[in-house]
Amino acid sequence: MSLNLDISRSTSFTEEQVAACVINATREVFSTMVMMEVTDDFPLKEPVSRFKCSITGMVGFAGTYSGVISIHCPVTLALMITSNMLGIDCDEVSDDLNDAIGEIANMLGGSVKQVLSKGGLDVKLSIPTVISGEDYTVNSLSDNDCVVVPFTVEGHTLLVGLTLKKED
Amino acid sequence: MANILIVDDSSTMRKIISRSLRQAGLVVDEIYEAGDGIEGLGVIASGKSIQLILSDINMPNMDGLEFVKAVRANGNTTPIVMITTEGGEEIIAEAISSGASDSIKKPFTPDQLQEKLGGLV
Repeated sequence: MSLNLDISRSTSFTEEQVAACVINATREVFSTMVMMEVTDDFPLKEPVSRFKCSITGMVGFAGTYSGVISIHCPVTLALMITSNMLGIDCDEVSDDLNDAIGEIANMLGGSVKQVLSKGGLDVKLSIPTVISGEDYTVNSLSDNDCVVVPFTVEGHTLLVGLTLKKED
Repeated sequence: MANILIVDDSSTMRKIISRSLRQAGLVVDEIYEAGDGIEGLGVIASGKSIQLILSDINMPNMDGLEFVKAVRANGNTTPIVMITTEGGEEIIAEAISSGASDSIKKPFTPDQLQEKLGGLV
């Protein structure tokens, strides 16, 4: 998985620099809002599209750039994340869990958007979408414009993916 | 003691903001919550005494920019601080020109809340 040349040229960033942007945004969100430390393991060794007992939060970009930023993590980890964010024990999939993962996707999207759009008016963020299930797949229409960064958190792996396309 | 209205479509974020206000040592009495701008206007219209409004920008139904404009159009001068993932200069400038007092970028720390809000509550 890699970033397409249009994105690299228009942002003047290499794939590694875009990955660094994702890594920095994820670290900042987790250290300030989740109170957990994340360790990145970029690059991803093998593409991942199938998730089991997991939850995925996504926020779309539209405008000068279109695309999606997504966070995928096992439900076990998502429950720990939600518990930390809310300061209460969460032990089952609930609206709180969906909302917390959606908000993390939202904050990651905001951080990436600030890199793509200094002013902020030419790229719009969608409201977060969250899906979860025992066995599901998430596919990008093109693997060529997708950067996925794996992270280790509390012994679990979560993925943050960024798919971007420069609009004409 | 200040009564604060938090307008954000994320219930998680409303809880984090509430907790962070207290962690920051800000003197808060009642905290009212709303899930979007329309609900926020409803809380204000109910006549509650509110000294500070904290609002997200990116929300369904009525976003934060529309909300600020609607509050000011009603002649309400309560300070409104945007707490948002939107850090773009033009969006923040639009919020300020619409009547917002200041902005705080998510994610934030309690210290950053203290710095921005300490003089308002």
